[in-house]
Amino acid sequence: MTNEKNIYKPLKSKLIEVIDESSLIKTFVLIPEEEFAFKTGQFIELSVDGIGEAPFTPSSSPQVTDRLEVTVMKTGYVTEYMHNLKPGAYMGIRGPYGRGYPVESFFGKEVLILGGGCGLAPIRSLLYALEHVRDKLEKVILCYGSKTPADCIYKPLFNRLNSIEKFEAYRTVDRADGEWDGAVGVATKLLDKIKVDIKNSVAVVCGPPIMMKFGTLRILEMGYKDEQIYLSMEKNMSCGLGKCGHCMMGEFFVCKDGPVFTYNELKNTPDIWK
Amino acid sequence: MNYLIIDKEEWDRFLGKLLSSYTVFASVSDEFGQDYELIKPEDISRITYNKPKPATPLKSFFLPVKENVTSGIISEKPRLIIGTPNCDIQGLKLLDEIYLDKDFLDILYKRHRDNTVLISSDCFGVGEHCHCLSYNIMPYSTENADLAIISMSGKIVLRILSTKGENFVKEIPVSDSPENDKLLSSIEKEHLLTETSLKAANKGLPDSAATGKLVRGAGEEVWKKHSARCVSCGACTTICPTCTCFLLIDKPGFEKVKQMDACQYPGFERTAGGEDGLFELPVRFRNRYMCKYAWKSAKFRSTACTGCGRCIEACLGKINKNEIFMELAKS
Repeated sequence: MTNEKNIYKPLKSKLIEVIDESSLIKTFVLIPEEEFAFKTGQFIELSVDGIGEAPFTPSSSPQVTDRLEVTVMKTGYVTEYMHNLKPGAYMGIRGPYGRGYPVESFFGKEVLILGGGCGLAPIRSLLYALEHVRDKLEKVILCYGSKTPADCIYKPLFNRLNSIEKFEAYRTVDRADGEWDGAVGVATKLLDKIKVDIKNSVAVVCGPPIMMKFGTLRILEMGYKDEQIYLSMEKNMSCGLGKCGHCMMGEFFVCKDGPVFTYNELKNTPDIWK
Repeated sequence: MNYLIIDKEEWDRFLGKLLSSYTVFASVSDEFGQDYELIKPEDISRITYNKPKPATPLKSFFLPVKENVTSGIISEKPRLIIGTPNCDIQGLKLLDEIYLDKDFLDILYKRHRDNTVLISSDCFGVGEHCHCLSYNIMPYSTENADLAIISMSGKIVLRILSTKGENFVKEIPVSDSPENDKLLSSIEKEHLLTETSLKAANKGLPDSAATGKLVRGAGEEVWKKHSARCVSCGACTTICPTCTCFLLIDKPGFEKVKQMDACQYPGFERTAGGEDGLFELPVRFRNRYMCKYAWKSAKFRSTACTGCGRCIEACLGKINKNEIFMELAKS
């Protein structure tokens, strides 16, 4: 191969720390061999050498370009190998790919974020990005639900967010345990108690498909317009380049045209919640 | 349009000399049918001209079934492909849009393209299931290939379609004859005859815009009914000149192997979490039709169905997409 950039070649990155977030979720802290910049909401293809790669949205701040954090739930073949990796190992990164959150278009507005489960990973990156520009925002409200208190990742994040001016964070769990004294119920229940100026607001939804569906429907019910709702879609993004066809959703390649879409862009596409 | 006309014998001698500097593939017919073969000196006389269509789609030369895309090497020796019908030449446009996309240029694909001189063949006559004209594709090339070739009355006519083609023919000895004009008008007559036959063979078949509307409007019961004979073998996508979906396979050393894939295979869209939008056969079956006639045509400038008819020939379940469209058009 010559000096031309090979779009399929990963950037080697050293794993320097593995953080246990929950029984099934770990955060991998990586130092890429070259500076790596991304926009919040964009995704990468993260690979285990010789095993496989999978798409993830980094959970770290887009302001940091010399290290990258990726939060991974153990779900299948590749992620199981990832969870067995120890600091010192090398992983591969391709990307960043796709269209992230249009943070600048949120300026002057209130940002409502509805998240569930591992969807908090990309949301954390978005929160870092919003915190960086908080002078230009009216308000940021996070409503987040996990299955149980133990499944909630980045626990210290909530107290920290609540201490930042203009930020509010709420949590709920589907099933409480003995020590939990917070809200119980699905994430959309949290929307009942927040105060938001819907006309001057955008809503961001990120989580498992079922939550995305009912979350979006609830937000529409609240009075948000289709174009005010941003969805981070999850499909089988394999190449990340708009070529392999695995993430095609109607006319869109989720990897290249998304993964962040407005509901307005997707509402006529069949089977978007599958 | 510029032409170069030489004696067939002279062309064959020229090809013979060319074999030392080019890898030559050409369309050849035998008792098993018509397909591309690697040409050796003794095969030159077997090359088939003017006849649709090689069994293998052109894409196979540019997107091999399996290829290491991180350390793959492409032969420095230039390649000549002779006898590609215009349906495949038009199909190549979509591949170019996808793989030469300026955002993510596939350098391996580009090298395969740069390394190849492409000689299209005019189709005189209609092959089984050929229906290019129904989708506004002519049975002869006027662009996107480097040259177009016709063999007629002991002569070879080369239509020059690109700068690469123009440079290629500079080495060929030219014959100048008063018969040339007559030859060119005979070719035009053959074109018209072929167009007339194509129209007659595909009477009532909706064009691509109408097909797009029909597939968008078709209900669940249509896909349920027609997918009943589909065995998800992927033959239709494998043989299609514009289907290029692939899978990336990881190899040690952070290498990637690109392997042809098909939306018709179960699990194509499945994620690790188990979500699979194409789990059910009728939905998977419909996906191919929507992709070809509704989605790709909205996303790209080039057509995603060139009317070559190979998917009809390859189908194990004897599913004929044109019969489906005729039925949808009637209902």
